[in-house]
Amino acid sequence: MGLMDKLNDLDRRWVYLLTWIFVLFPLLFPLGLPVPIQKESQAWFNYIKNIPDGSVIIYSPMYGTSGMPELFPMTLGMMHQLFQKNVKIIVVTFWAEGALVFDQALRQVDPASYGKVYGVDWIDLGYIPGGEPAIRAFGEDMISTAPKDYIQGQPTGSFAIMQDVKSARDVDLIISIETGTPGLTEWLRQWQEPFKVPIIVGCIGVSAPGMAPFLQSGQLSAILPGLTSSAEYELLINRKGLAIAGVDAISMSHILVVLLVILGNIGYFATRRKS
Amino acid sequence: MSNILRRIEIPIFLTIVATVLQVVPYYLDIPIINTTANNINQWVLLIVAWATFIGPLSLIQVHGKAVQKRGSGWYYSILVLAAAVVMSIAGLPIPEVGLSQRNPVYNWLFTYGQTALSSTMYGIIAFFITSAAYRAFRAKNIESTLVLLAGVFMVMSNAPFFTASWPGFKTIGDWIFAVPNMATNRAVTIGAALGAIALAVRTLMGIERGYLRGGGD
Repeated sequence: MGLMDKLNDLDRRWVYLLTWIFVLFPLLFPLGLPVPIQKESQAWFNYIKNIPDGSVIIYSPMYGTSGMPELFPMTLGMMHQLFQKNVKIIVVTFWAEGALVFDQALRQVDPASYGKVYGVDWIDLGYIPGGEPAIRAFGEDMISTAPKDYIQGQPTGSFAIMQDVKSARDVDLIISIETGTPGLTEWLRQWQEPFKVPIIVGCIGVSAPGMAPFLQSGQLSAILPGLTSSAEYELLINRKGLAIAGVDAISMSHILVVLLVILGNIGYFATRRKS
Repeated sequence: MSNILRRIEIPIFLTIVATVLQVVPYYLDIPIINTTANNINQWVLLIVAWATFIGPLSLIQVHGKAVQKRGSGWYYSILVLAAAVVMSIAGLPIPEVGLSQRNPVYNWLFTYGQTALSSTMYGIIAFFITSAAYRAFRAKNIESTLVLLAGVFMVMSNAPFFTASWPGFKTIGDWIFAVPNMATNRAVTIGAALGAIALAVRTLMGIERGYLRGGGD
């Protein structure tokens, strides 16, 4: 078997080994490759920056532990930016592990360090089971759908933040960090269209193409796709974190994909001519 | 009496009532229908919450049988069952005796077990994607060459190394995202929506009975 034959049909174990090296090396020895700010992350940053004071925001971690490598960094980054602002934040999730993921985020970002008081400036309503019907029910009547808060187990209606917030009609923005269903389309059907609540979505990279039509139609106001955008966002809020740490690995793994595709095609054409 | 309750018209009628109650408030503002629809929606949440118990029962059934039969890898099933039992007990919502999702045992297992394992499973995709890209992106004909070019440019537009080297990669990636990708996704979205509407109409008219134990009369 000649070199060209090998290039045309490289054993997958070599591909796996190369991937492992290309991902692990920059994680152990950061290369500091440049990270240019793109329009998506800039638009996202500006959107949050321009949220008016006093706005009521639904902040929804709609993902489980499997989505954490890609979405956890933007979840943390957004908490830093949101807690700096004078807004009311209602945390709620329709993913079973979402509340536990947010618990982990709270261990890294303490709202009290931004002077935010629980029950006054923000509240965590935890997980509501039921998928799309639950999103709908929560939009119609928040307090009966989430009767108790997640952190203190007290009646939701007893908190100061909920005195003027009863349904989706009282909400100014949804921020959904998500990996799939329920997610954007359910929010659009049950909140954005009926109640005209704007929505912005942070998502895993593979979800972004499916969201393009909603972004263009204006139903989706901004999008932050994948770890690369998270890294750019971390630069914008001036808080280098997990995404910046991982972005070199993204560059290197993408370089490997391009190299392998080029080598594979060279091998393919060389062996085809020979045969 | 039991014969009457077994009649196919009853579930069809219930389906029609439930569907109409969810559709009408979307277009018309009739207070009594809105209230009824919201009440029925709350029932759905209760049903879904109860359905949660099917998960553990199914897990015990599948892995219990695997342990009983001593099939290949049966010892992994013991691990699954043990983890399920420990996490279920530690996470029971009885904070008075120290149990809840904030219980230290539950938190430790979730943070250092569940989170690490799930993230690893997700990370493994990188290996498969690299291997798949290497094998699939071959310029065998015009169609596959177009896929290859689109794929490679999208890869490059998403890697900061390439976009920092030449911003044109991002411009090309954005064009692929905003023009051919969006056109295709629109077609898929609209097609799926039309299909869903057709299915809903068939269900409402009692023609579609696939959800009724295979649709038998």
